[in-house]
Amino acid sequence: MKKYSTILATLFIVSAFITSCENDLPTRADFSSYDFSGLDETAGTWKPILLTAPTQIVIAAPAEVSSSAYQAELAAVKAATANLSGAQADAVEYWTNNPIIRWNEIALELAAKYNLIPGPNEDGTYTLPNAANPAGPPAFPFAHPPYTCRMLAYLSVAQYDGLITAWHYKNAFNRSAPYVVDTTIPSAYKKTTLPSYPSDGAVVAVASRDILTAMFPLEAEFLAAKAEEHLNSLIWSGSNVASDIDAGKLIGTEVKKIALARAAGDGMKNAQTPKAKSDSIKAAAFARFGWQWDNQESPVRPVGLTPLFGRVKMWNVPSVEVVRPGIPPAPGSPAFEKDVQELKDFARNLTTEQRKIANWWSDGLSTYTPPGHWNRFAKEFMIKYKMNPIRSARTFAYMNMAIMDAGISCWDAKYYYHYPRPIQTIPGFKTILGTPNFPSYTSGHSTFSAAAAEVLAYIFPNEAAQCRAWAEEAAMSRVYGGIHYRFDAEVGITQGKNVAAYSVNRAKADGSN
Amino acid sequence: MKKYVLSSLFISSLFCATTVLAQTPSDEILMKKYELCVAVSYDHGTWNEYWEGAKLRGNANIGTLTRTTVAPMVAAGITDKLNILIATPYVQTKSSGGQLAGAKGFQDFSVALKYEIIKKQIGKGNLAVLGTAAFATPMSNYLSDYMPYSLGLGTNEITLRGILHYQLDKGMYVRAAAAHLWRGQTEAERDYYYNNGSYYTTFMDVPNAWNYNATLGTWLFDYALRLEVNYMVMKSTSGDDIRLYNAPQPTNKVEVEQIGGFAQYYFKNVQKIKGLGVLAYYTQMINGRNMGKFTNIGVGATYQFNVKNSQ
Repeated sequence: MKKYSTILATLFIVSAFITSCENDLPTRADFSSYDFSGLDETAGTWKPILLTAPTQIVIAAPAEVSSSAYQAELAAVKAATANLSGAQADAVEYWTNNPIIRWNEIALELAAKYNLIPGPNEDGTYTLPNAANPAGPPAFPFAHPPYTCRMLAYLSVAQYDGLITAWHYKNAFNRSAPYVVDTTIPSAYKKTTLPSYPSDGAVVAVASRDILTAMFPLEAEFLAAKAEEHLNSLIWSGSNVASDIDAGKLIGTEVKKIALARAAGDGMKNAQTPKAKSDSIKAAAFARFGWQWDNQESPVRPVGLTPLFGRVKMWNVPSVEVVRPGIPPAPGSPAFEKDVQELKDFARNLTTEQRKIANWWSDGLSTYTPPGHWNRFAKEFMIKYKMNPIRSARTFAYMNMAIMDAGISCWDAKYYYHYPRPIQTIPGFKTILGTPNFPSYTSGHSTFSAAAAEVLAYIFPNEAAQCRAWAEEAAMSRVYGGIHYRFDAEVGITQGKNVAAYSVNRAKADGSN
Repeated sequence: MKKYVLSSLFISSLFCATTVLAQTPSDEILMKKYELCVAVSYDHGTWNEYWEGAKLRGNANIGTLTRTTVAPMVAAGITDKLNILIATPYVQTKSSGGQLAGAKGFQDFSVALKYEIIKKQIGKGNLAVLGTAAFATPMSNYLSDYMPYSLGLGTNEITLRGILHYQLDKGMYVRAAAAHLWRGQTEAERDYYYNNGSYYTTFMDVPNAWNYNATLGTWLFDYALRLEVNYMVMKSTSGDDIRLYNAPQPTNKVEVEQIGGFAQYYFKNVQKIKGLGVLAYYTQMINGRNMGKFTNIGVGATYQFNVKNSQ
């Protein structure tokens, strides 16, 4: 009896152990504020994306540091930094001195939260999310890859142009940071010699909050609270006085207006077409090529995902036609049959490694999508290479413009060629990944990934080989998963590289090098 | 002579069923020292509706999901009061709708120790109090993050269960069991997922759970036939809901209420096949959360012998 009690007691302990020694699961990038590898003091001279020049946004000259108004603000910072609560200290620690990273992370989380495809109604019809009625059901938006890549592009471009403007005025007015004016004020982050008027943090907080609120209207409250905490953390960390922040907020507000004005007219609102238009696009492809993609779900979705995303205004490519890939192999042709045979072979004998690659890159529903995956890589490189906020914003801006241009080009090809998916052309074919609701050629994963990899390779030359290898792997992951032919993936890689070259060339000439 | 019967497995095929939901370790029966029982069961579970959160719905891209389990098991009497039970289920899943591939393979190896703490005559019946401790762990590299087709939850699991069994001398009995299941983490093949927020890791916390069973049964024909009706509840202690029109994942909060019937016949009077038993059962989930509404039918055979006598 005693022996068995011992066994039972041991099991009790082991089971307590099983729970207690579980890994603590990370919910965000694990990093603290860091010393920047460079300050880019002259970034105010860099060429912005949407603004003609930073002077397009005007802010007033700041009060002198000797003025009583400034001294009162300084005293407020001094008082605040001397009495930080635990929550305030946590906020300072969370936002760090590179809040670009946190706002990008927030954007990715919202992408994942809203990346849910609307299901059918009881009667077999589908209701699409509607920006005019965001609560739905279904809730707006459906943050699919085209939606998410565009959201990230506007977020990053607004942040970047706002920061170039902030840097311009920092140099123009040259008002020092609180901890420089009064050396008894502590700085939570590594002190720099950069002027603090206007506050770059405030530019980022307001521009990010407003762009993301436009993209995720149901998150207005959540985003307002995040921005409020971020803005307060600028005081709590000793980085800014109140008038620094006010000026930064003004820039953030102006730059978001310019970004959202472009967004309103970029053609996205027409991307999800009515059925008649979608049918005519399909019929045109059939007349041209003799094949057409059809949705295979039940009930059948009447319209594919954003048939006219390929008509959305590009950032850096003169026209979508110049990067349109050539015609794919016709179904039934030897080249087609070869790639079909490969798909069948993978389906029969997928290795554990190949399965893992398919799942690793799947980035499907309820995730941040492939554009989000590359933003995550960029974020990790920024931390690794100790990039400052404006260079981080530049990296995200050029990468996300390239990714969005790649998406537009890919969607152009998808609906121009309207190529059927493997589950449509191969009878009885089963896959380990879900087949998305749009045509096959070219692969979105491949195009997005190649474009992102090229920009990251340009910005982080030490990581170039790794990034390009990742893109190749992401492309093949769709073939392993059974949802793309090899030619979709290979042509998508070339297409993504071609598209990205335009963004990289623009970046090379923006005065930052 | 008290017969050992390995009763139904009730591999209550959860969405991606956990390990043997342990009806075996949850009954009152014990083998004598040197007795060995080998068994195999076949379970056929299907659902065409599932609970998305608490809402019951269908999905034409799954149609009917079928999950079949073949479970070889062995039980042995270490002493008259202590038994060891081992199971190695093989699971296959597929769906009638959609284009997603099913899965198949060995699921979780489980080993359980069952110990009789109290056994005594009370009034016109006999009371038994038992405890079981079980450990289960994946036997193959199946992917748990492939619901609803995945074979199991892909995590280590420890179960502690208490059993109360009261049996009238005439053969009728009631039994109640309560168990707590401690689950560890499972590893996905992606390092980002959404669980009411972002998770940047391949690991997923699989919620712990409570499991309760209530059984009413009787022995007939001089302990050759056993009939039972039963009620089972399983409740995760934490977890998230399946997102709208989205796949389940191992982090989900799973709840189930299930009713069932069970019969077992033991060929005790047929000399040639003495030691052989057959069983059949039927279970139906009647309420749930983040779970396929399974109907299960199972059959099995058990063969019991004394290791010493046969030597």
